[in-house]
Amino acid sequence: MSEPSAMGNGGDSDAAVRVDADATRATGETVISCEGVDKFFGDFQALKDINLRVGRQEVVVIIGPSGSGKSTLIRCINRLEKHDRGRIVVDGVEMSDDVRNIQEIRREVGMVFQQFNLFPHMTVLDNVTLGPRLVRRWNKKKAEELGMQMLERVKIPEQAHKYPGQLSGGQQQRVAIARALAMQPKVMLFDEPTSALDPEMISEVLDAMKELARSGMTMIVVTHEMGFAREVADRVVFMADGQIVEVGTPQHFFENPQEERTKLFLSQIL
Amino acid sequence: MSAPLGPTGIATEEPVPPPEGAGLPPRQRLSPGQWVRENLFSSPANSALTVVFGAFLAWAGYRFLRFVFVTGRWEIIEVNLTNFLVGRFPRDELYRPWIAILIVAFVAGVGVGLSAQRGRAGTWWTRTKPAVPGLVLLAVLLVVAQTWTPLLLTAASFAVAAAGRLLGARLPLRTRRWMPLVYLATILAVFVAFTGWGGVGWDSWGGLLLNLYLGIAAIVLSFPIGVLLALGRRSTFPAIRLVCVFYIELIRGVPLITLLFMGALALGFFLPVGWPRPGQVVRAIVALTLFTAAYVAEIVRGGLQGVPRGQTEAAKAIGLSPVATTFVIVLPQALRNVIPAMVGQFISLFKDTSLVVIIGLLDLLAVAQVVTQQGEFLGQGLEAETLVFASYVFWTICYSMSRASQRLEKRLGVGER
Repeated sequence: MSEPSAMGNGGDSDAAVRVDADATRATGETVISCEGVDKFFGDFQALKDINLRVGRQEVVVIIGPSGSGKSTLIRCINRLEKHDRGRIVVDGVEMSDDVRNIQEIRREVGMVFQQFNLFPHMTVLDNVTLGPRLVRRWNKKKAEELGMQMLERVKIPEQAHKYPGQLSGGQQQRVAIARALAMQPKVMLFDEPTSALDPEMISEVLDAMKELARSGMTMIVVTHEMGFAREVADRVVFMADGQIVEVGTPQHFFENPQEERTKLFLSQIL
Repeated sequence: MSAPLGPTGIATEEPVPPPEGAGLPPRQRLSPGQWVRENLFSSPANSALTVVFGAFLAWAGYRFLRFVFVTGRWEIIEVNLTNFLVGRFPRDELYRPWIAILIVAFVAGVGVGLSAQRGRAGTWWTRTKPAVPGLVLLAVLLVVAQTWTPLLLTAASFAVAAAGRLLGARLPLRTRRWMPLVYLATILAVFVAFTGWGGVGWDSWGGLLLNLYLGIAAIVLSFPIGVLLALGRRSTFPAIRLVCVFYIELIRGVPLITLLFMGALALGFFLPVGWPRPGQVVRAIVALTLFTAAYVAEIVRGGLQGVPRGQTEAAKAIGLSPVATTFVIVLPQALRNVIPAMVGQFISLFKDTSLVVIIGLLDLLAVAQVVTQQGEFLGQGLEAETLVFASYVFWTICYSMSRASQRLEKRLGVGER
């Protein structure tokens, strides 16, 4: 199914770096940079020469067909997957095998998963305060004050003392967002946050994410919600077969795509 | 969660009117006659089965009740009750077990009082039901004892338990956090009650007391060892993994009896020269613990594998260390999932404590055989009575453990998805 030659794709990566300058809201300061990142699963190359910079306060939406490496890319950024070649630098810290490095990066990077992954044996509030208490060593009172603030931010403070299993999917995903925010991260990663939700619950999660974007959070979002990409993204990254094919502003990307692969994808989903 | 698991008999005692507008089919009330016709005699084949099995059950029930109440010669139990319960324990030191019972009653009362603060689930009857077999056993023992002292002391134990319960209901709720420590301290206190101030060493213990002690000690010791072995088997360090796998597979490939013999005969070779040689009871505990730990490890490993990978990833993503991820996120979920298998293993362990007879210890089962050799009972074929009695005691304890595990499962299942 893949036609583009390796040569052509190398050129695309250059394009990615070039369009970087277009970032509208980014303050110019780079928070995340990936340089020549490769990732293999056995013989299968999941990421091929990924070059991507994300500026502070920028919202980057990654789209692409399934199996294109979108999730793998953001999982490399907080070391849920280990990249095999290249450099990943998060907020000035280069990802290495050093456990302290990894811990430091994870503290600054929040992540929201497709399947929520809330801890079922703890109340909602305990889920949210666990990170601050165990990682930041805050006392219970301080952590719970912050936790309640975060739950208010995603508009479910009244569920604080329930267990995750008692909430709807949309509520669970908002708790997951609050849990990530409670660590006061500098960057938030979203791995298809609405893909496991019933349709009527998608908007409540997207609203919470939009609020977050407006507040100036740096975000990388893997999603199939094109409406969200158009409305919120500063840049859209299109990936296919483990490579970044095209990068651009939403306007540029949806109305005037340059690459054949992008046009094909957009014609399939729009 | 589903109706058959719930307490029975509630619906018939207090019929709950269905909520208005709920299109539930009307619940049919069957008269006993109708019930019998529909369930027992619905077809010729069914009728035949009912008659055959009814006759068999009636015959078996008749034989059993006749044995228990008419033909059984229970004097052997009456005469030897103390032997059954404590074996060779010195008779003028019997106040020590009673002190232990009073301590346990008090602490148990406090624990019940504390947990009752969270609100009680179910009716008085559903809360008491799990204790019924134990209470029946107690009543049987008191009837068999036929003296006043045990009765009075039992009453005192209940009074102490009630006092503990009242105290527990008034303690601040955060005391709950310390209860595991309190339980450990209780075990220690009981031990001191037996052995302190010139008391009675392990090697004079026997009967049910010995089974209980071996069982509790082996459970308390093998649980943490088993958990560590399970974690070690999943370790990323090959050396640790290898040692754990080797240990688990070695132990699981050897009969418990072999381990007991090894403990009794060969443990000395593994101890440094000059160390005191441990007594037989300690050797038995070592063997039972080593044996059970291997099985606990495999059960826990199964539980660990059942925890979704997303849980670990989420914990890592918020920056938890690997140790915190394991002990705060993964293990609690894994352990809850394996409660039934774990309690099954512990019940099995408790019954296996009677194997210590082969290394010369006098446990409940051993007493059941030895007493039939006493002069006044010799050659009268009284094994049936003594073995039925021993089985009954074992059954009550194992059944109570099983019930307790079901309650624990339900309580920890709060909010489970």
